[in-house]
Amino acid sequence: MDSSDVNPSGTTPTGVPPETPKPLIPRQRRPTPDESAGGSAATGPAPAKAKPAERFWRAGRLEPLPIRPLPEAPPSIHILGPTVFLVALGVGMGESYMWPRLVLIFGPEIRWLFLIGVTLQAVVMLEMSRYAMATGESIFFGAARVFKPLMWFFFVTAILVYIWPGHLSAGASAFERVTGIPWQATAVAGMLLVGVVFTLAKVVYNLLENVLSICIGVLVVGTSVVAAMVGSFADLSSTITGMFHFGYLPEEALSPAWFPIIVGSIAFAGPSGMQQMWYTLHLRDKGAGMGAHVPRIRGLRHAEDQESMPSRGFMFDTSDPDEMRKWKGWRRWVTFDALLLFWGVTMLVTVSFTVLAQASARLDPGVADVIRDGEREAALDAMANSFAAAGSPVFGTVFFCFIALIGLNATLGLFDSFSRGQADMTYYFVPGAKRFSISKLYAFFLWGLIAFGILVLLFGPADGPASILDVLAFLSTFAMGAYCVVLLLVNNITLPRPIRPGIVSNVIIGFAAVFYLGALFYSLFAYGVVVS
Amino acid sequence: MGAALHPGPRGRSRAACYAEVAVPGAAIGLLSGAFAGGVASLAGLPAAMVAAIAVGLGAPLALFGGLYCVLLAAGRIGVGAVGPVALLWLVGFPLSRLADEFVVAQVLGQESVLREPLLSFLLFQAMLSLGYAIGFLWLHERLAPRWLLRITGHNDVAATLVARYVEHVSSVRARPRRAADRGR
Repeated sequence: MDSSDVNPSGTTPTGVPPETPKPLIPRQRRPTPDESAGGSAATGPAPAKAKPAERFWRAGRLEPLPIRPLPEAPPSIHILGPTVFLVALGVGMGESYMWPRLVLIFGPEIRWLFLIGVTLQAVVMLEMSRYAMATGESIFFGAARVFKPLMWFFFVTAILVYIWPGHLSAGASAFERVTGIPWQATAVAGMLLVGVVFTLAKVVYNLLENVLSICIGVLVVGTSVVAAMVGSFADLSSTITGMFHFGYLPEEALSPAWFPIIVGSIAFAGPSGMQQMWYTLHLRDKGAGMGAHVPRIRGLRHAEDQESMPSRGFMFDTSDPDEMRKWKGWRRWVTFDALLLFWGVTMLVTVSFTVLAQASARLDPGVADVIRDGEREAALDAMANSFAAAGSPVFGTVFFCFIALIGLNATLGLFDSFSRGQADMTYYFVPGAKRFSISKLYAFFLWGLIAFGILVLLFGPADGPASILDVLAFLSTFAMGAYCVVLLLVNNITLPRPIRPGIVSNVIIGFAAVFYLGALFYSLFAYGVVVS
Repeated sequence: MGAALHPGPRGRSRAACYAEVAVPGAAIGLLSGAFAGGVASLAGLPAAMVAAIAVGLGAPLALFGGLYCVLLAAGRIGVGAVGPVALLWLVGFPLSRLADEFVVAQVLGQESVLREPLLSFLLFQAMLSLGYAIGFLWLHERLAPRWLLRITGHNDVAATLVARYVEHVSSVRARPRRAADRGR
């Protein structure tokens, strides 16, 4: 029993596949003058000539969105939600390694940049959810409504960036330190296990949310306990007050060696690359907002039970005050998720890891030098060793256990999210793909990713060919700037005016776009280095 | 308290019913202690030290974890609500850590229990307690409903709590259906 499940049955609220019935929707309307004026979005009578009772919201040039009722929002003060995926994907090496490293080198005052980075991501998350909850469509579909090549850009970028299994190496290497099992063996076994589990799952989302919730719960409880045992009040207070030293930027931070790393750490504070875009797919599968009208993805083993997907999403009647009341409830629900779960948990884990790093540097000042100069593996070793020196060998082992757990979370979330996103775009936009159910397309991308990953791990460069590493890093950051621009376009053009973002949200998302793209190109042209 | 000792309709004392309901929260507390103790054992620390860490931390955390379940079952805390859990651990986590430091110091024969002033220590632990509270609730919401369903046949307190969970879930499920029904 999952007390947070919004749409547990995996069916539409009427309990039937969404394509079969064409219910008559009451109180449908003509567009208000405001809405008709809203860019290319306007309600229209297109298919309504055949069915006069059916009302639509026209968004872009693609198929209009039929009007359906918006489900009632669940209570906002609840702990579990699709944010678990963002947390699982987002709490990665940045939080556990990069930011503690920057704190040791530049002091805790540098953390104000982390605050900015995570806060930007929280706002992006809220805006991503706006389109997904209003339509039940992914942000990829929204991008296609504005300009189809935008969506194909993300389709290709996802393949180029995420097909390489290098992201498995950190977690699997940490596991090797604890158990002695070679990391390649762990990585291959892990990938196969992920594939089998997601194939057998009846509803992939339920399984993944359960597993990730337990993993994140253990991670949060564990880091809190360990930080409480080795840290001190001074460590914690300097870590927290450091977040409010706005404007602090030592000269060394602006050097060619550190500037790209700092910018990359800000951009990748929390979810990076395309992870925010995938969040919209998890919201839909959770049944959030109009996602309740769209069936969930099933594992391949249960593909025959997969309900047919509607050919587009849905819209609710934004002129109905009761519907708008429910919409506000959904916004409260997702805001709670964004603030407490995403922002809060990401902050907590980073604070805990930073406290650990500070404790280690206090006890062994040499560790800062190793961390400054060393490669990631050497630096992780140094941090683990210093944790061990802090009290007992326990903490070195614990540190590696956490890194392994973070790696496992990221792998689970990333494999699912990648397959989900590619299946979504293929199903809706590759001609002839609708012959296959979305479950089969999901399985195709999942197993394709696993097969390619195993081949590369065994025979090739895990991070991708060295000659294109810079291109991949560039694309990953560029995608973040690009999705901010897409968000602005999608939310302000395709949504009815009453549910469009306010000026503050638009300014923040605009700032994020300028920041990600500006820093990327500045770093490239001023220093000749790609943000990393 | 008198009422708590009276047997319930199915012959079990209320205290026994509440104790059974408290198992998931207590288990998470014990697991937290075992987490530290287990890795200490992996790292080859002396058995006495391992036991001191596991029991010194696990026992008080289990006590407060169980208390959360009891308050939840008694209706003092809403299902899945975050605020009350944060408040509970704001008190419970620092006290548990204090007990832990005391037990470890006793076992190792150290004269000083804390490395820093008591107030700083408690403040530091209180600040970290929010992280523990969220992790605790996250795990509890996954584990407790399964346990309650197992014992609900013979435990009235669990049955009442399950009913509250079901009410919570069904209110969430029923709303979209009602909304959809209006659309027919």
